[in-house]
Formats: sequence, C-alpha cells, structure tokens
Amino acid sequence: MTANYRQYSLFSTLFLAFFTLCSGTVSLSAQDGGSLLLRNATVIPVTGDDLPDTDIMIVDGLIQAIGQNLAAPEDIEVIDASDKYIMPGIVDAHSHLNSIGVNESSHPVTPEVTMAESIDPNSVAIYRALAGGVTTINLMHGSANVIGGRNVTLKLRYGRSQYDMIMEGAPQTVKFALGENPTRVHGQDSGVQPRTRMGVEQVIREYFDAAIDYRSKRDDYLAMKREYDQNPDGIPPVPVPENLRLEVILDILDGNIIVHAHSYRADEIFMLTRIFSDYGITGYTFQHANEAFKVAPELREAGAHASIFSDWWAYKFEVYYSTAYSATILNENEVVTSIHSDSNELIRHLNLEAAKSMRYGGTSENDAIRMITLNPAKQLGIDDRVGSLEIGKEGDLSVWSGHPLSIYSVNELTVIDGNIYFDRSSDPDDMRIRVSPSVDYHETEYSESIQDHHFRINSGLNQHQIEE
Amino acid sequence: MTNLRIPFSLILLLWLLPLQPVSSQTPPAHAIINSTIHHADGSETESGSIVWRDGIIASIGRADSIEIPFDARIIDGGDSLHVYPGLVDGLALWGSPERSGPPERVDNPGEPGYERAGIQPDRLPSKLIQSSDEVFSNALKQGYTTALIGLEGYMLPGQTEIFFLHDNDTKSQIYREKIGFLFQFEPAPGGWGNRAYPTTTMGVMARFRQLLYDAEALMQHLDYYSESEPGMPVPQRDEVLEALFPILNQEKEIFFAADSKEDIERYLRLHDEFDLNSVIVSGGEAYRVSEELLERDIPVLASFNLPDPPEWYSTLREEGESEVPEVSGPEEERYRKRQLNSWLDRVKNIRSLLDAGVHVGFASNGLSLDDIQEKTNFLLDEGEITAGELLTIMTSSTSSILGISTHTGALREGMIANFSLWTNPTNEEEARILKTVSNGTIIQF
Repeated sequence: MTANYRQYSLFSTLFLAFFTLCSGTVSLSAQDGGSLLLRNATVIPVTGDDLPDTDIMIVDGLIQAIGQNLAAPEDIEVIDASDKYIMPGIVDAHSHLNSIGVNESSHPVTPEVTMAESIDPNSVAIYRALAGGVTTINLMHGSANVIGGRNVTLKLRYGRSQYDMIMEGAPQTVKFALGENPTRVHGQDSGVQPRTRMGVEQVIREYFDAAIDYRSKRDDYLAMKREYDQNPDGIPPVPVPENLRLEVILDILDGNIIVHAHSYRADEIFMLTRIFSDYGITGYTFQHANEAFKVAPELREAGAHASIFSDWWAYKFEVYYSTAYSATILNENEVVTSIHSDSNELIRHLNLEAAKSMRYGGTSENDAIRMITLNPAKQLGIDDRVGSLEIGKEGDLSVWSGHPLSIYSVNELTVIDGNIYFDRSSDPDDMRIRVSPSVDYHETEYSESIQDHHFRINSGLNQHQIEE
Repeated sequence: MTNLRIPFSLILLLWLLPLQPVSSQTPPAHAIINSTIHHADGSETESGSIVWRDGIIASIGRADSIEIPFDARIIDGGDSLHVYPGLVDGLALWGSPERSGPPERVDNPGEPGYERAGIQPDRLPSKLIQSSDEVFSNALKQGYTTALIGLEGYMLPGQTEIFFLHDNDTKSQIYREKIGFLFQFEPAPGGWGNRAYPTTTMGVMARFRQLLYDAEALMQHLDYYSESEPGMPVPQRDEVLEALFPILNQEKEIFFAADSKEDIERYLRLHDEFDLNSVIVSGGEAYRVSEELLERDIPVLASFNLPDPPEWYSTLREEGESEVPEVSGPEEERYRKRQLNSWLDRVKNIRSLLDAGVHVGFASNGLSLDDIQEKTNFLLDEGEITAGELLTIMTSSTSSILGISTHTGALREGMIANFSLWTNPTNEEEARILKTVSNGTIIQF
C-alpha cells in the first residue's frame, strides 16, 4: 500500500484496537459496526458492471452509499483507494480454519454436535485468511459421518470471542458425507453400517424415517401429557424423551438447516439428489463434488449447488477422476458454483483459485469473482447480507492493489462490518492473540518461520531446496 | 459376711453409676493456650486460647478472657506458637482410583456403555477412595482438615462428597455426602483405533444434553407411574440417569472443571440452557469471563496450577539481569513482553476475580501438595494476593462455596474443631507444623 493511500495512517488505530480486543478490556458485541468511506476505487459490486472511480460509504457496519464524490459525514474515517480495486469480502463455503475439534467420528450420524461449540477464536490462521481478503467462512464439521455435525458460519472478527465470531442470524448448515470416508471410518474400521455406498444411502433413509417416526411419537406424547397434566385421569402417557439427534434431522427435513454434502463421484451425487427429492429437501450444496460436472444438468434441475476445488484431485481413489474445467462446466450449466479452500493455505489465495476458472475454462471475470463471493453466500443462505457490494448489505470487503484476479495483485485491506481487520500497511510482526508464557521465543513456530525466511534470504535457497 | 457383701456391691454400683454418663457424654476438653490465633478473615488474636471438646470449639479468644475447663488437656504455646484454621480443599482428587489403563475397543463406538463413555455420575467417593493413600496424611501435615473429594475420570466421573481428613481413615470421616457432580470436557478415552462416543468437546456437550433429556423422561415416567392406575408400563430403571435427577431438580451443584476462557464460555451455554447450579473448578482463565460469572453468580474454586514463568524471567528473578540471555532483536524483545504479560495475567487470575466481585475459593483439582506450595509463592510474590487473602480463600471462602461455612472454615465458638498449630507464621520459611486438629481429632507430627 502506497504512502498516499490514505488521509492518515491507520496503524495506531488497528494496533490499539487489536490488542484492546485481545486484552478483553473492551467488550464489543458482534453487531458493533464501524464506519468508513473508501474513495476513488474501481468497485467490483459482482451484481453489476465494475464501477470506476467510485466511493463506498459504510455507516455503522452497513453499506450506505456507492457512488462518485460522496459527501463525507463528520468524523468518518476516509481512505483514499485511488488505483485500487474493491471487491466483496471473500466467502469460503468449506473451511476448517479454526476449530478445536473437527470430527465427532465415533458414530455414523452425529448432527447433534455443532461446530458452534468447537470454535477456536485465537488461531492465527484467521488473520492469515484475512490477509487473503476472506471475511466469512463456513466452519465445517469433518467428513467421517454420513450425517455429520452442524457447521457454523463465521465472520472472521479476529480478536473477538468465539461467539462474537458467529454470523448472527445466519442459517444453520449441516455436513453430510458420502463415499470412502464414512464407509472406511465406520464400515471398515468399526464394522458398523455403512460399509458400502449402498449402506450410506440406507443410513440416510433410515435416520430420516426414524426422525419422522420420532416426531409422531414425541408430538403424541406431548399432546397427551398436556391433557393428562390438566386432567389427571386414567393412565398417564409413557414419556418419549427429547432426542437431539433426531430433532436436528427433523430440522433438515423441514428445510430449516441447509445440507452441505461431502461427495466426489457422480453416481453418489445423483443418489443424494434422489433421496432429497424423495424427502422434499432442497437448496443443498455438494462439497468437493469433483465429478459433479458429469451431472450438471441434473443438479441444475434439482436446484443443487456445488462447492469445489479449482484444480485439486487424485489424492485418493474416489477423487481419481476430475478436471480443471469443472467450475466452468457447472457454471455454464447454471449450477450455483463456488470455489472453496478446505485448507488453511488455499484460503489465503482464493482469488487465484477463482481465476483458474478463467484460465482453464474461459469463465468471465465477474463469474469467477462470484464463485468466491456471492455464490458461496447463496450456498450458506446469507446472500441477502454479504457476497456483493450493494447498498444495505453488510460492510464486508477487501481492497486490492490491482484487479483481484491478477496474480500480481495483493490484498491490502480487509473490512468486516465496517471495521478493519487486516491492513497490509500496518501489519504488526506478531498477530497471535495468545502467547504461551512457557514457550520461549526461539521455540515458537513464529520465530521458526522468521528464521527460515532469514535463512532463505541469506542463503539464496528456495523453499524446495531447503526441504530437500 | 455374705449379707454384708451385697450391700457393699450395691453401694459400689450406686457410686459408679453417676460417673458412667459423665465419662461417656463429656469427653475431655482440649485447649491450646497462649498462641497467636490467625483467623480466616486475615485478622489475628495475640496471646489467644482455643478450647474444644467433642469436636466442637467451646471457646476462643484472648487467653485472659477464656476459662479453661478443669478437665482440659492443655498445650501451652508460650506465646510463640500459631494456630490457623484448617485449610479446605474445594475439590481434591485425593485417594481416587486412577483412570483405568488403555481402554477396550468397543464393537459399536457410537454407542458405548456409560462406563466406557466416561459417564459415571453414580460413582461415590465414599465407596471408592483409598484411605491408605499417603496424600491424606501429607495433606494433614500441611494444615488441610477438610476436602470436597471427587474422582478421577472423564466426562462425568462421579459425585463429590465432603470429608474431614484422617491420616488412615478418611473414608469413614464423611461429613456431607452427594454434594454435587464433577463435570469436565473430557471425551471418552481412546484414540482413533479404539475411540468411543463422545470423542470431542462438542460431542461431550451434546451427550450431556441428551443425558439430561433422557433423565428428565425417566423421572417423569417414575413420577407418573407412582400415581398411575394399573395399566401403565413399568419404567425401566437406570442408575446412571437416576443419579442425575438432583441436577434436574436443581438440588445439587455441577462442579465444572476447566481452565480456558473458551471452555468456560462453552459451559455457560449449558448452564443457561438447563439453569444449572454451577461452580467453576480450576478456572485458570476465569478472569477473562469474570463479568459473565458475576452476572450468573457462579463462584470459582481456583486452582493454583499456574504455568511456569518464562525461562528468561526465572533466570532474572533468581540470578540477576547479567545472567539473562540477550534478545536477538526487537521482535524477541516484544515477544518477551507479551510472554511475561501472559504469565502475569494467569498469576493474577485470582486477584482479578476478587476485584471483579467473583466469589473465589480454592481447589487442588489434581495438583500435588508440593506444587501447590511452590505455586503459592507466585501468587504471593506476583499475583497481588496477600497472605491474609490467601488464608481466606483457602478456608472460609471455600467453605462458603461448599455451603458448610456455618460449621467449618473459620475459628469461632460452635464451629467444628478444624485447625493446625505451627511454630511460626506459615509464610515464614522456618515454619513447621506441630499438630493438626481435624474434626476434633489431634494428629501429632
């Protein structure tokens, strides 16, 4: 970021704000939105054409105005973004960025657990993702279970508490997993269903049916209990305990929880669309979905979405077959498609992952940007709030040195709810929230990376040579 | 001669009879006189005396105001000995059977039995602790007289019960049974190959919820059945679920053991959801959620399990500045500042909680007696806790949190005789314990 980038330096503001938040001396609620006026940038709204020489004004966390020469209210922080590009904050629909536990792997069906109770708000990986322009993630449960735990949508409000990171009001999502992972973990390792892909289908249907049966019994019990408690005559009803696992499945069946299904092969993807069609479930997303391109028309017809790697496959047998044209094919078939990270490294350059869809398949710039903004927001049910730059939406954006799909561009500023969470011009050398009293400087991962960096610079070796 | 023998025997009997009840109902008194009495609130009584009989403090105060019973066995402090109230451990794992070895592999890891899952709220210390464990006599040697004892284990390892300490028979010295339940985010034992539900913190939380739902249904079934006309199916009894009924009825406390801010926050979700009676045990980072704890009136039985100070700082403290390795640059210098502040924050946890108005007591929670002594020095030196406050925390405050402060935890007339006798004030290096009186019983060292 150049020296004339802003009217005044944000360094002290950011640094003080970060450590004030970390020290816990000020308790900000998640709804505390900031105000900012960014001037003279090329704005990529995603929902329309790029807007040159445009200002964006965020007031109390919401985008209040987008236009040229906006009048600056008193006391608002003004940032000169001339020659910069502003895009919506990146949304990653598949991440395990900051959890204390990913897989409740012991049972094939565990939707009773929730990643909302597994958040690590202190992971420095959050800051690294912010540096890549990411503002929102779907913190996902692992893929060991056919019906896994519930996921949680987080805004990367680094420095806040675990619950302040949860995107308030965002719909709940849940992880499903098909194929090798659940059959290996449960069938092969533990000798319990499912052992095969047929078994996976059966487990889903069994639990859906069990939940429907449970609702009938539980509702009957509650009705009879109310009646008996008012008029205790005759034989009282036998209690049917509340069943958290089946209650969550009922919410899935009722459309209150959005399914994100880990999947690879076209046959199993199609299998799940059949099940969901049978039970009336809509608006779901296939995660990874390397062969989804083979059934793209069917997905469009089912209203299913796809969240995929840009060009990563062949890391196990069921992922043997794929193509870097996948995103383009799905997109051309009008399947709502996103590019995800599923990796703390990939999440730092999702802009380039999206750009690969242009390089390989000729996807348009706008559609490529959509794949890491508005489309994942749709998949998470939050597209009315984030994913594009529109008046009334939340002030989540990132400011880039050049077009964000260019390999030469870097993210310079990341804003969530109108508050700055990453600023390359004032990036302190140690952004960890926690420092262990017992671990000396030379033992820390941080110092190791610094030392490696110095070693590379001093020795002229590249990373590959060092590892060898 | 024969005629004379009977009246003599009768006379002898009549003479002895009145004495019999006196000796059985009124055991001899004991008294420590002319000693400095240190009170739980940090105050002192110089030249004080304390008299106890039958396990209860009969009188206490300045020696010149105390009448020593004629039958008292007297220990004269010669104005140089010091009496302290007996220390109360708010949650000790003393005498607990150790966690079992490598867990067995279960056929269906998703549905292990209660015990395999670490769900054992029906376990009682009064049935399981080993009185022969030398920790009891060692604790007495450090002035402890009373402890809430829990059991080692996993998610719900058992109930907690209050004992007076005895050097070889603590098990029989139970004072209050079934006080509450120990709960912790400890998944079922086992690795990937022998895992069992729950394997994660989120799994433990979900399992806890389901247990209470199941217990609620069983309690309702039993209740209905007890009043029902014939025809209702018989409830299937379940000792584990039935042990949890007092939680649902808000009759017993949950002693939740955790240190991190995030785990305490997670637990508060459960606390709010089920309207639990909660006590935080250990609470190393409880200072970071003091507002939330105060709002809910949740006390903390703080452990002294403090992290070690930074190595360079220890060197500085012990050997002086010249011995501390120099920093490699400004980054390391900044890191050291953060490292030290991080340690000081933990050491000042109790200070911060007290300042915030949170009720703080003490719990060893698995920390060894030696470690407690060592860490206590950090609290006094750098934790901004005075010796008087420390005594209060380890006596009356802990008693109050355990709900027994009307009977023990302080030195007052009518309280249970729990105290210790020392050669010097306990914060002096040469201090040596002479005796501990636990529930009126003198243990001599």
